[in-house]
Amino acid sequence: MPPSIHPVDLVTALRHKQLTPAIVFLTSRRACDEAMEAFDHAELVLPPVRQDAIGTALERVIAQYPSIAEHPLIPIVQRIGVAAHHAGHLPSWKIAIEELMRQGHLDAVFATTTLAAGVDFPARTVVITQSSIRKSRDFTDLTIGEVQQIAGRAGRRGKDHVGFAVITPSPYIDLSVLTKGLTGQPEAIDSQFTISYPMVLNLLKAHPHEHIQGILAKSFAQFQLNQRAELLERKLDLLHTQLEPFGPRVCTDWITQWQTFDHVRRHRPARHQTHRSESPEIAVRLPFLTPGRVVGLHKGRGIVLRQYRSKGQKNSMLTMLRPDGAVTECPVTSVREVYDRTYDCAEMATYPWCSAETFDRLSEQLEDLPPRLPILPILASSPVDTLPDAVVQSLGDFPCPTCSSRTACQKDFPTASRLRQEQQRHTKSIQALRASLWHRFQERVNVLQTFGYLTSTAQLTEDGEWARLIRIDHSLLITELIRAEAFTGADPSLLAGIMASLAHDDDRPGAFPRISAGLSSLLRQVRKLAESLAPHEDPPLLRADVAALAERWVAEPTLTWIGLCRLTTMAEGDIYRLLARTIEFLSQLQTLKGTHPSLADSAAEALTLIRRGVLEELP
Amino acid sequence: MTTDELERLLAQQPVALLHRLARGRVHRQFRAGKRRLIELLLQHSSHNRAGLESDLQALLEARQSQSASSAQRSQYPLPITRKKATPQTPVPALSEPAISLTGWLEGIGVPEPQPFVPDPWQTDALSALSEIDVVISVPTGSGKTYVAIEAARRAMEDNRTVIYTSPLKALSNTKYTEFSRLFGPDKVGILTGDRQEHSQAPLLIMTTEILRNLLYDAASGEIDVRLDTLGLVILDESQYIADRERGVVWEETIIFCPSQAKLLLLSASIGNPQDIADWLTSIRPTACRLVRHSKRTVPLRAGYLHPNGRLTPLFRTLGIPYGHPTHLHPEAKRLFLEYEEETLPSGRSRR
Repeated sequence: MPPSIHPVDLVTALRHKQLTPAIVFLTSRRACDEAMEAFDHAELVLPPVRQDAIGTALERVIAQYPSIAEHPLIPIVQRIGVAAHHAGHLPSWKIAIEELMRQGHLDAVFATTTLAAGVDFPARTVVITQSSIRKSRDFTDLTIGEVQQIAGRAGRRGKDHVGFAVITPSPYIDLSVLTKGLTGQPEAIDSQFTISYPMVLNLLKAHPHEHIQGILAKSFAQFQLNQRAELLERKLDLLHTQLEPFGPRVCTDWITQWQTFDHVRRHRPARHQTHRSESPEIAVRLPFLTPGRVVGLHKGRGIVLRQYRSKGQKNSMLTMLRPDGAVTECPVTSVREVYDRTYDCAEMATYPWCSAETFDRLSEQLEDLPPRLPILPILASSPVDTLPDAVVQSLGDFPCPTCSSRTACQKDFPTASRLRQEQQRHTKSIQALRASLWHRFQERVNVLQTFGYLTSTAQLTEDGEWARLIRIDHSLLITELIRAEAFTGADPSLLAGIMASLAHDDDRPGAFPRISAGLSSLLRQVRKLAESLAPHEDPPLLRADVAALAERWVAEPTLTWIGLCRLTTMAEGDIYRLLARTIEFLSQLQTLKGTHPSLADSAAEALTLIRRGVLEELP
Repeated sequence: MTTDELERLLAQQPVALLHRLARGRVHRQFRAGKRRLIELLLQHSSHNRAGLESDLQALLEARQSQSASSAQRSQYPLPITRKKATPQTPVPALSEPAISLTGWLEGIGVPEPQPFVPDPWQTDALSALSEIDVVISVPTGSGKTYVAIEAARRAMEDNRTVIYTSPLKALSNTKYTEFSRLFGPDKVGILTGDRQEHSQAPLLIMTTEILRNLLYDAASGEIDVRLDTLGLVILDESQYIADRERGVVWEETIIFCPSQAKLLLLSASIGNPQDIADWLTSIRPTACRLVRHSKRTVPLRAGYLHPNGRLTPLFRTLGIPYGHPTHLHPEAKRLFLEYEEETLPSGRSRR
């Protein structure tokens, strides 16, 4: 069995059951194009009457949009009455297909799911072949709303008694996603409120800073945040009643009191030291305090003769050779410094604990020691953190051990403490929900202040006054570029190239024409600036290849649309969209006539150059 | 459940269950090994641990009921056991026989042309609109455009300006052509980012971004005469308010919309239209009427087409059994199981 039905068989089956016209939703543009290719050698040909009808209908559209007159797909559409419709096509071609469909000349259209949300485009039947959709490089399951949006295309008012949604499987389809989508309630929608730099500038232009919080409070985002906050408040009320039995006892805040007491009680060291133990600092020194080692003591220096432990002493003891040949005993704790110097020492079991000649040699060497000796660096591992002594000593201050409600406190503490923690958490969340928009706004204000678009009192500066007119994505980058005078003297084609690279947010790879040296150096400058702005604004892709495409279109007025398409592997529809977005960006620059006349002129010139051929057809 | 406990529990499960759990959570989960899969699951659900846990519990319970019926069955990969599990849930409609294909295909055809009579919800929306704002949330293709046209006509008869916004330029163009045909070309204008046609016409079509910019300019004192006489603002496809990149524009437009103008929000079916209406009521001078229904004008039927060309109904019932996604037609279920058996990667589906 094939993994999915062959497009020709699909159309045949639909025709046979009179389920046409149909829209077939496929996963990708490529799938749509391949489906069309599958008809190349098919025997499926429309009767001449219908072919002629399609021809005349197409002529009417061509009269309005001459750019599609030579479209390579026209013959096959006319022969078999099936077409593809996706974002890779020119808008005018898509309009032509929509028109043919509306008039009922086509039997099937292969489309991507973008169509579902895009245009008013109904049919008798929709065919669904997938349960997931590509969203920014990732496949996600269709939501219920999306499935219903797709299925909603089935059944034309006034032309059909019923509409049909037909599922035909392809690899990786999950039927349950689709059945749930068809039978379920659409999902609730959530606000996606974001605060952009132009929004801040425009708000502050029109309203004083202190009114803004009230304006933000009117947003759907705040409405939904308030709903969540109210939910939490209800929970908080519930917690409040749950906490009632744990009100004040002998002490008002018995929960905290018991918590501290309990903590201290658990961490108090045992009362008696039952075994001998050195502190870690001392313990690490012991291996170094061997016979022959030079150490520093409270007064003067000495050489270790032996190390021993003795009953009744807390610490290990040392026998030292001191200056003047004196032999003394001292605990290891009295060693101040351990020096990086040892002498050979022949040990003996009896006083003076070394051989006589060693004793004489060591005495001499001790006298001859230089005044400064290198200190042996001995690293002590950090001691386990114990409670500060003050707390331990104050254990006697707690009333708890003798308190009358001690048992009750002990019993209730886990529950009460959990409830109180929850209460504190909810209170904090509510505060965050109520104020988050305002904080986000303030963050933006701070950034704009550091860049000098706003004064310290949140008034618009001279730069802010014109910067607020740039109301598109990457506005901060664009205004910073203008301030850095990156565009001074840039001719229209360079400007268009840069705007195209800013506007294009698709990373679909492809082959493109070469970029000019001027544009490439300017782009490098833009990239550097974009990188430095990255903490404040997501940098755009800044693709040099698409920039080159826009540059060529503006720089060479004789270049035809077909010629432009030949320069690249980019789909026609994508080129159109790139240039249309570039127009949008350029027309924003054009609004800066008052403050940046030469830039605005250059943008206006680029606009007139860009608008020719296909780009002139649509309003 | 702590992370360690969860990790241990996951590690005890067969990898098929982990794959099932990872669907929709982990991208390309079928490529990851068991340990990596557990890691990814924990990582990807760090913000929704509760959801992961409850799904895991549900899967475990399903497995238990499976193994109770047949110890051997639980060895199968889960996508299939899950499909087999469906008949176990009590299905009330099972007593009735499933619809036949001929019955399902009955009634195809073109209805007799009938004089247009507006639906009650349409007249209801229109009458409310003369006083207050209206939010309409109805399925695709049930006649939102009629309300828009009729409301625009009434406002224009009142010498009021109407602004109609859509999210896409392509839609704006379609509406421009359609409205020009209806009202006459001199009555309709279109404004895009760089071009204006008939910009003083009483009915203006634009994208929502353009309207937002007009409102910005008006707020900062650059008065636009068109906003003074503005009587009605129609926001088509207003479910775009949930769009990740552009949703904020709809919110701004609604917040800054002049109070003397009425708002008409047209939206596809969404889950919480009441929220939108409540929100409008809370920020606009007048209350807001919500018009919603989920009944399609043209009824919908669902079918299943097998790759070998066999067509069957998808559900047991003629129409869509709302709220009962498991009421599948036995034939469609059998064919789909067969399909999954054959196409799933080898080693996962073979018995």
